[in-house]
Amino acid sequence: MEIRIDNLTKKFGDVVGVENLTLHIDDGEFVAFLGPSGCGKTTTLLTLAGIYKPTDGLIRFGDRVVNTVQPKDRNIGMVFQSYALYPHMTIFQNIAYPLKLKKVPKNEQNEQVRRVANVMGIGDLLDRRPGQLSGGQQQRVALGRALVKEPDVLLFDEPLSNLDARLRLTMRGEIKHLQKNLGITSIYVTHDQVEAMTMADRIAVMNLGHLQAFDAPDELYDRPKTRFVAGFVGNPPMNFLDVEVSRLNGQFLAEADAIRLPLGAERGEPPAGHPGAVVMGIRPEDIQIADDGDVRGEIFVVEPLGREDLIDVRIGSNSFILLADTEKQYRAGQPVALKFDMSQAQFFDPQTERSLLWRQ
Amino acid sequence: MTARESLFDSGKLKVEEAPPALARDLKDGLRLGVIGILVMLGAAFFLSGIVGPLFALGNVEETVMDVLTRLALLALPFVAYIAAASVARRYTVRDSPRALGLALTTTVILFAAISAGHYVFNYGVFAPRPSLQMTLRQTDAGIRVEALVAGGAADTAEMQVGDVITAIRRDRVDLAAFNKRLSQSEADAPLRLRFMRGDEELQETVRVILVSDKQLSVLLPGLLFGLAFTAIIVFLPGHWAPYIALVGLLSPLLVGYFWVIVATFSYRTEGLVPLDSNDNFGGFTLKNWESIFAGNISGLEFNIWPILMTSLAIAVVMTFVVLLVSSMAGYALSRMHFPGRRFFLSFTLILHGFPAITLLIPIFIVLLRLGNMPIIGEVIGFNTIGGIALVMVAFQLPLGVWLMKGFFDNIPWDMERSALIDGASRFRTYWEILLPQIRPGLLALGIFAFIGGWNAYIIPATYSIGTGLSNLPVFLNELIDETAPVDWNQVAAVGLFQLIPIFIFFIFAQEYLLNIYAGGTKGSS
Repeated sequence: MEIRIDNLTKKFGDVVGVENLTLHIDDGEFVAFLGPSGCGKTTTLLTLAGIYKPTDGLIRFGDRVVNTVQPKDRNIGMVFQSYALYPHMTIFQNIAYPLKLKKVPKNEQNEQVRRVANVMGIGDLLDRRPGQLSGGQQQRVALGRALVKEPDVLLFDEPLSNLDARLRLTMRGEIKHLQKNLGITSIYVTHDQVEAMTMADRIAVMNLGHLQAFDAPDELYDRPKTRFVAGFVGNPPMNFLDVEVSRLNGQFLAEADAIRLPLGAERGEPPAGHPGAVVMGIRPEDIQIADDGDVRGEIFVVEPLGREDLIDVRIGSNSFILLADTEKQYRAGQPVALKFDMSQAQFFDPQTERSLLWRQ
Repeated sequence: MTARESLFDSGKLKVEEAPPALARDLKDGLRLGVIGILVMLGAAFFLSGIVGPLFALGNVEETVMDVLTRLALLALPFVAYIAAASVARRYTVRDSPRALGLALTTTVILFAAISAGHYVFNYGVFAPRPSLQMTLRQTDAGIRVEALVAGGAADTAEMQVGDVITAIRRDRVDLAAFNKRLSQSEADAPLRLRFMRGDEELQETVRVILVSDKQLSVLLPGLLFGLAFTAIIVFLPGHWAPYIALVGLLSPLLVGYFWVIVATFSYRTEGLVPLDSNDNFGGFTLKNWESIFAGNISGLEFNIWPILMTSLAIAVVMTFVVLLVSSMAGYALSRMHFPGRRFFLSFTLILHGFPAITLLIPIFIVLLRLGNMPIIGEVIGFNTIGGIALVMVAFQLPLGVWLMKGFFDNIPWDMERSALIDGASRFRTYWEILLPQIRPGLLALGIFAFIGGWNAYIIPATYSIGTGLSNLPVFLNELIDETAPVDWNQVAAVGLFQLIPIFIFFIFAQEYLLNIYAGGTKGSS
């Protein structure tokens, strides 16, 4: 089912939930809504589900405008963060509930519930009650309940947030696999950019009720169109610093205090044309500690992550996060030299926060 | 060893000769006991000497202070015994004879001290008592005068040995009633006695005088009781203390219930003791219960079943309507935004605080008007069960709506959204998904409503005047009003009869409540 959202606005009294959102989702696509809490992603999802009525704008499922269609007539399935299972019903009754409401015959209900339960790996739990299940099992039941009525659209509202880290990893893979197999158009709300990056075909990054970007994960990562997207996508987050970019003898140079970094023309030309200071962004993996580094600084803190160390290096008043091999055993207070891969640097207008490299 | 010796030798520590342990403990126990006495005396003085007069200044009756003062003085010896016994408790595990000996010794000494105090201040058993200065004995004919104190009150009123007292004024009395009447009289109060001398019926007015007979023999029961009390305190397991305190606080209720149960199965009771017609222990009977079903109590004829049905109808109608309306209104108030929602919420709270009594007359007029309407008037008008239930429901609803709103507020939104997305209508979501989540709340409110309806008195009594329509509480009142003399044992039987459904209701409700909490609702977190 293709979903077309045009100029969607949802207000609660004077509080704006979402404003002027336009988004076209293709049939069978897996889209993630990514953003910090309160950015309007869940509001958008609930508006799509029909729980909220849009204040303005149009929502189309296929060719049908569904603005005022009741949730029960939209043929959607939804998985909630809190699982939202019905505690007074058995697992079987929980999964069968949508079928019961559709007045599917009893024996057919039985068959479909068992089929879905087996796919979800909860076939032997059907007689239990939600309270007797672990969090992961409950989440599978919730997913099974959403799938059993063969919905046109699947909605996920941070479904993995309540699970422990290990289980989250497994479920992430399972949901992605299931979605690809069934080919159901899916929208997945999350504030975890790793989930969004790994699962989604395209990610809609939202902030303060506005759509910031809507693109494939790699595009968002390599060519962020706003400073917010650049900072939100990627872990650990991108380093930012204010620099002046100047052209010198056909060479480009980014300068800030004691830092002077040479730039190639491809990256250097657009910011050099911008009057005044610009914001430079560089990802942790594009900074190396090297003896022949361009810039000297001092290690402020070392956070071991196991596979590698997260190192905070201070250069004058600027701070850079970067990743380093644990074998080098860096210590706080140690002086180091940094090497920047400036071919990956991003530049943003400090006022509009738009990228100077990539036009929208 | 050496370290200790060196301490002694060096003279840094002076040790006095320690007193023998028993003497020391006795001293400790007595000291605590005396502190207990002083504390209670202080409390009594504070209540009667300071708080009482303050209340009196504000023209408030100080009877409560009086009662509290007497309670403090009554509790005084026991507080002292408990304080003294607490010292002995430390030996109960290792050396129980010693603990007992220590406790009993301190008790005897404290008792002696307290009794001496009573003797000196004419208090307690030595307090002056109202008396007529004659010895009496209950006989079949009446109370026979066995002996007179020469020159005493009865003697000066020219009573004679052999007179048989039958009544005080016109009230017939037995010895128990006579003594009760006497003990409540003040000094110099005239009691007009009616008595038989031979075949002649005579009257004499005897003036009550206060006598204090300082006979030490009356102290013995008190001492024995005190010793038994201390022994119990010494060997009482510590973790029983909260239960004993609770039972103590509940004792007025428990005694009441005990009396009701005993009274319904006996002819007559004196205090809590069932008696037969000869004042001996016994006299058990089922006649009080039989007369309920036979429909005749002290000449008042009735049929218990319609009365029971009326009670039941009011309670059941009330329970269902209150549950239905409260849960629906609570749902709407919890989940929906509509104009006037806030006003409605605060308004119902005010309604809940409004005393029902003040509305009796206005509602009377409303019901009267309703009763004049065709058809509707038959169901919810004046003098109908429907009308009574309607008013009772109205009074119960504000509480119910607020209670239900609170329960709905605690259900996560997601569960409701999930049901809507699964394809349920709004009503179905409320009925199939949300109501089961608030079962404990429904049950609690249901119990409130049922008991409220079952025990309702003011409203049924007011709005069923002059009809045969009455529920059990109203009938109970009629029983007291319209029979003379009131047979309290039969009244108690009707009261207990009224309680039976409540008991049954609670037994089932308790099971159900426990089931719910064992089930758990973690899945919804």
